[in-house]
Amino acid sequence: MQNLLQNKPLIGEDVSWLRELRQKGHESFSLPDAKTEYWRYTKLHDIRNTDYVMDVPFYKVKPVNVGLEGYILYFLNGSFSPQHSNLPQGVEVMPLIEAVFTVPEAQKYLGKIADAKIHPFAALNQAYLNEGIYIKIEKNIELKKPLILVHHTHNEGESLFYNLHNLIVLEENAKASLLEYYTYSGQIKSRYFGNHVNEIILAKGAGLNHYKFQDEAFYAVHIALSCAEVDEGAAYSHFCFQKGANLGRDETHIRLLAQGAAANIAAAYKMEGWATLDTTTEIEHLAPQTYSNQLIKGVVGGEAKGVFQGKIHIAPGAVKTEGHQLHKALLLSDNAETDCKPELEIYADDVQCSHGAATGELDKEQLFYMLSRGIGEDEARQILVEAFLDDVLEKLPSAEIREWMKSRVK
Amino acid sequence: MTTPLLEIEDLHARVGEKEIIKGFNLTINPGEVHAIMGPNGAGKSTLSYVLSGKPGYEVTSGSIKFKGKDLLALSPEERAREGIFLCMQYPVEIPGVPMASFLKHSLNAVRKHQNLPELDTVSFMKLLKEEGAKLGINNEMMKRFVNVGFSGGEKKRMETLQMALLKPVFSILDEADSGLDIDALKVVSEGVNSLRNGENSFLVITHYQRLLNYIVPDFVHVFADGHIVKSGNKELALELEESGYAEFIAK
Repeated sequence: MQNLLQNKPLIGEDVSWLRELRQKGHESFSLPDAKTEYWRYTKLHDIRNTDYVMDVPFYKVKPVNVGLEGYILYFLNGSFSPQHSNLPQGVEVMPLIEAVFTVPEAQKYLGKIADAKIHPFAALNQAYLNEGIYIKIEKNIELKKPLILVHHTHNEGESLFYNLHNLIVLEENAKASLLEYYTYSGQIKSRYFGNHVNEIILAKGAGLNHYKFQDEAFYAVHIALSCAEVDEGAAYSHFCFQKGANLGRDETHIRLLAQGAAANIAAAYKMEGWATLDTTTEIEHLAPQTYSNQLIKGVVGGEAKGVFQGKIHIAPGAVKTEGHQLHKALLLSDNAETDCKPELEIYADDVQCSHGAATGELDKEQLFYMLSRGIGEDEARQILVEAFLDDVLEKLPSAEIREWMKSRVK
Repeated sequence: MTTPLLEIEDLHARVGEKEIIKGFNLTINPGEVHAIMGPNGAGKSTLSYVLSGKPGYEVTSGSIKFKGKDLLALSPEERAREGIFLCMQYPVEIPGVPMASFLKHSLNAVRKHQNLPELDTVSFMKLLKEEGAKLGINNEMMKRFVNVGFSGGEKKRMETLQMALLKPVFSILDEADSGLDIDALKVVSEGVNSLRNGENSFLVITHYQRLLNYIVPDFVHVFADGHIVKSGNKELALELEESGYAEFIAK
């Protein structure tokens, strides 16, 4: 824990509000333990037992070819890499630190959407606020191709720790798709730790389809928080697939601020070994006629552990609101485990809310049916696992990204 | 003398603690169609699962030889690849797996075992379209998930289609007529009959004589209390239709 807060020289110390923000992050951070609410099931011994460094030598590495058409924003070892990026025209995209000096939105929103007091790793992230990207899609603009954030970690054995912070603003009726792709090269056993925060603002009628594919190295730690504020008639969708890292957490915190605001989460996780993959969601319905839907499915083998924590909060007066949540897990071995904690907090009448959770094993009748048709056992299991996750992936609106993810689930 | 396709000797099998198959003997030669008839609860379905290797169906003594080799040493998928096909009474639904993709995995697994080249998607879809048309199955059904939302008749047509694709040397039809109207019954029977060629053999398990009007057996066996109590030719099926199974149960 000591070495998570190092004295790293940062740009912009002369900007007083930024300095204060970092200072506040520094003061708010303490590493969660078993008593910390929302960190009870996800153990952090990987972080506690690793001595991290915040700088590694510059490695000349071959950039990853994503294989999708879109605007690439390339990050190598936690730093923006302009030479590997291809920025869209007519959209404001720049490194976050540049935005600090040039756009008013930076001061207006940074640290306001993701609250360092509630989220310990957002506090840690804020203490180092520096790297990341600022994206603004202007009023009525619809971005045809997705923005693709490639997070490439290349490591020759150092335990790199980095923080990335993105600020994404969609003005009225702006529409965009964003894909975050987490991948690695170099030593598979490297124990790097990426701590990610997205602050997302959707103005009236805006729509963001936020896709994420987490395929970090075997021993990596990946902790990510996406906080979104969704205004009247706007829709935020979060589609996440996690299959990498030894400790992976994808947390979303969505605030539906005004009538007609909608949140949609479809997430899946699949792992073996000793990994822990955590999906945590919180959706706050703060106005009447706001809508949320969540489908989360996980496949857990080996000695691995899946965690799902999902909270739906319906504020007083948020009538005629709908909030639905379903978590299903498939356990492939006797030692696999899931912890599931759904929470409903309803302070309004006339709302429709549901939550459900189920844990099961592969269906023996289905398995035998496939074997009796000559399909080998490993192949049959693989097919059934993909079938189990199919309805999550089918929710992805982009056919290109859906097929791209499906081909990587195997 | 030719080797029998299937030789079952003094077979005993149980499910859990309960013995279901008790001293069962049967020999099937290449090209023969055998019908097994019997009252409900006699163990007919258990026999079909023992032959196809379903987990939980434990053989306690006796032997089964298939093409002269020990069948019980083979896993379910190896049995299927060697040419055993179980046409199930209740085909299993698999949400999330499209029918066409399931059939392609199945056919290519069997072809690979037979040292035949695996079919690519284009040639597979062409074959599927041809074979499906013969059974009145349209392409739309191939896109749906395995057996999900299919009627009883559609499920049995799909089972017959799988049989047509895999061309098994030994097919077990477990109550193939249950839930079928007369049109579907004819289509399924024609599908089965088209595979009869003097080499392929069939074991037709049924409660009713009706199916045997369409798939005419060479031998009929009465199965009660875990073993064969009487054997004869196709006339025996007609007698059973008249007299019922009472004399074989009331012991």
